[in-house]
Order: sequence, then structure tokens, then C-alpha cells
Amino acid sequence: MDRLIYTSLSAMRGAMARQQATANNLANASTPGFRADVAEAQARWLEGQSVQDRAMAAESVINADMKPGSVTSTGRDLDVALSGDSLLSVQSAEGEEAYTRRGDLQIAASGLLTTGDGRPVLGDGGPITIPAADKVSISQDGKVMIVPSGGDPSQPQEVDRLKLVSPTGSAIAKGLDGLFRVQGGGALPADPDARVASGQLEASNVSATQALVDMIDAGRAWDMQLKLVTSARDLDGASADLMRLPE
Amino acid sequence: MTNQALQVARSGLDAQNRRMQVIANNLANVNTTAFKRDRASFETLAYQQMVAAGAASSADNKYATGLNLGTGVEMTGTERIDTQGTMNTTGNALDMAIDGGGYFQVQMPDGRTGYTRAGNFSLSAEGTIVTGEGMPVQPQIQVPQGATSLTVGADGTVSAVVAGQSAPTELGKIQTARFVNPAGLQALGNNLLVETAASGAPQAGAPGEDGRGSIHSGALEASNVNVVEELVDMIETQRAYEVNSKMIQASDEMMKNANQQF
Repeated sequence: MDRLIYTSLSAMRGAMARQQATANNLANASTPGFRADVAEAQARWLEGQSVQDRAMAAESVINADMKPGSVTSTGRDLDVALSGDSLLSVQSAEGEEAYTRRGDLQIAASGLLTTGDGRPVLGDGGPITIPAADKVSISQDGKVMIVPSGGDPSQPQEVDRLKLVSPTGSAIAKGLDGLFRVQGGGALPADPDARVASGQLEASNVSATQALVDMIDAGRAWDMQLKLVTSARDLDGASADLMRLPE
Repeated sequence: MTNQALQVARSGLDAQNRRMQVIANNLANVNTTAFKRDRASFETLAYQQMVAAGAASSADNKYATGLNLGTGVEMTGTERIDTQGTMNTTGNALDMAIDGGGYFQVQMPDGRTGYTRAGNFSLSAEGTIVTGEGMPVQPQIQVPQGATSLTVGADGTVSAVVAGQSAPTELGKIQTARFVNPAGLQALGNNLLVETAASGAPQAGAPGEDGRGSIHSGALEASNVNVVEELVDMIETQRAYEVNSKMIQASDEMMKNANQQF
């Protein structure tokens, strides 16, 4: 039997993986600061004896689409939208530094400042803890300001400054927890020029039209490979017929 | 072979459906005194690692990029957006709005203290200041029979002209409570919130002090739901739901074709 079916099967597996990546993008169309995954197929050549006639397809999520999402005004003091391509530093579950664009900040029961998905936000001095305060606000340059309980509202005090970083010049990749990390380890340097807008929130950057086109594309690619598999089966059937001894 | 794309799209449908419920509840409470709108909060589910970047693809080669597939989304909670609602003047002295932070304290039937910003109070048959559901405001204030010209000051002082006297008499002081993390209060319905481990302990005291807002008598705080904003969110949710259902259709079509042709 022709080995064509294995080549097609690799492409079908790829199309299904691409479909899952697109489905995940669409499912996260409302997740604040979400960055769409970009899936792409790569050819894998098998070294033959004389000709290279088999290119297996291997699907991979190359990277995240880093274009900015739309920013909406929410009026909530702890919502921050990051300017440009800067990222917010957070602590991952393993305790190391990771980055996100998610800016719906919360104050946990312990006073810890976290993102909407519960990652502790890092400041210049590690995770930021907010003491009892009448008002918490975040200035344009990322300073976390509070008016202490019973304090003078016109004299806010600085607690810490959000560690805003710029990924320019470094390769970053999305990890299994959806956070960005520097490829090969390490941390990004703090960017003093990074700015945040308080009271605004960046939405997911998933483009529904792009995702729908990707979806149709992957569906058609799947069908096409399916055709090849059935054609290979027909060819194989035909040659088997030739071999059949006359009765 | 299970089709993961189907499950991922389903997670999207579930999340958008629940978000719609949050929006519906906001819209339903557009006229509820001092109602605070909720916002749905989404989180990505963990990614599945199919191929690790840097793993060996052969004896000499390594994969330059990995294959990490996302597994969908989850609505993890709702956040109460505690912005101030607008003040509507009613002229009724027992209608009170809080300008700034803080909550009125009321005694719930189970003995716990409930916190509310809905200040549409009235008098019980015994002359106690109570909420619409008849729960007494804490500390309890008794208005004697036949009292006239009831007034409530910005600091919560309730005074009235008692029958047989010409000068107003102080009847008591309404206290309000504030919390370190008001977003951590748990909503019970009936406009009531209760303290949780996340909200911290109540800090009760005179209104207008230590971050507690002052009381505006003769006014009610309106709901902070902005109908236009909710409608935009509603359309966005509906569209997101639609694209996810399209994805279910497309994935189903793929499996259908495979089943028919193999």
C-alpha cells in the first residue's frame, strides 16, 4: 500500500491541531489581555535513498500574535491597560518571573495585588502587598498609590511600582500557563518609559474574522487530505484487482 | 480520537452563556436602588504540551518551536464594580444615599449583620428605622409616635421634633461600616452583602470619617448599571457565542467527512 496515507495522516493531524488552536483563540475572545496563538505547519523531509519525495507535515504553535487588543474604559481604578508592547511582571505558580498583558488587577484577601487570574503582580521589590487603604490607584508610570485608612486623600503614598518590562530585543514565548517567559530563561529588564492607563482594560486581541477564516481553512485542508487518503485506497484497490487471478 | 477542538469551543460557549447571565442580571437590576454591576472574569485553561520546544526530533535535530495547544476558557468569577451610582433626590428624609465608601448595617433575621448601600428606609409599626424588608438598621433608632420634621445629618445624626416640644431632639446616630476590600463582600440578594474572609472585618463608625462616605438624606443612590454599556457587552457576548458555535459546526463537519469517507 502506498505510504501516501501516512503523509496525509500527518497533515490531518496538523489540521486538527490547527483547528484546536483556532478554537482556543475563539474561546478566549473575551479573556482580558489574551494574545492569540499562531499555528503553522512545517514540512519534515524524510531522507530517501535517491529522491526526497515525502514531506511530512508537523504542526506547531509558532508564537503568539502580539498585536494590541482594543482598550475600553471601565472606570475601575485597578484596571490598567499597558501602552505599546510593554508587559506586566507577575509571579508564576513555580515562583519565577513571567509576563502578561492582563491588567484587571485585584486585591486578594491577604492584601496581595494579583491579576484577574490570580497571579501575584511584581513590583520593584517583589510581590506587591497593599496595606489597609481608603483608596488604591495606579499612576501613569505604574506607581501604586494608596491613601492609608483615615489618611489625607490629597496626600497619596507610594507603595511600590509595577515592574513594567519591554520585550524588545528578547525572544519571549507563551508557556503552558498562558504567561510569557524569556526563551531559554532569564528576566526582562524593567522599562522606565513604559506607561499604563488606569481605569481602562485591554481586551483579547483575537480577531473573530481571522479566526473564522483559519477555521474554514483548517476544515478544508482536512477534507482535502481525506480525499487523498480515499484516492490512495482506490488506487490500492485497483492494483489489488490487477493482481487477482482470473477465476 | 476525541476531537479536542469541539471541547475547546464548548468551553467558549459555556463561558459566554454564563457571561450573558451576568449581563442579564445587571440589566434586570437597572432600577434597583444602589445596585452595583457585576463583571464576568475569564481565564484561559491550561495549555497542553504536544511537542516541547527544544525536544529532540532526531539524533541531531531539535524542534525549534513547540506545539502547545490551548484547551479553552473558563469564567472564574464575577467582580462587583463599586463605582458610585448617581443620586436621585426624593425629598423623603428616610431615603438616604451614601456619598463615598461605606455601607449601612442592618440586622438580618438570622442574627447576622448585613451591609447595604440601598438607603430606602421606612419606619416599622413600632417606629424603628427599617429596610424595605423590615430589617432594623443598626444601631437601632426609635422614632417616637407623633414626631415631626425628621432629619438625618451628613454624619448620621437622626433628629426630630417630638410631640409637645418645640426644639428638635437627637434620636440617635446611624453608623456606617467600611471594609478594606469591599470587592470581597458576598452578595446575598435583597441588596444585602455579608462579610467574608476576603473582605476583612467591618470598621464601623460615624459616616464621613475614616473613608466612610457621608449621608445624603432625601436622596437615593441609583444603580451604577449603564444600559448602553451592558447592551454593547451583550452584543459582544452574543457574537462570541456565535463564533464558538460556528467552530463546533466546523469541527463536527470534519469528523462527519472522515466518518463518511473512510
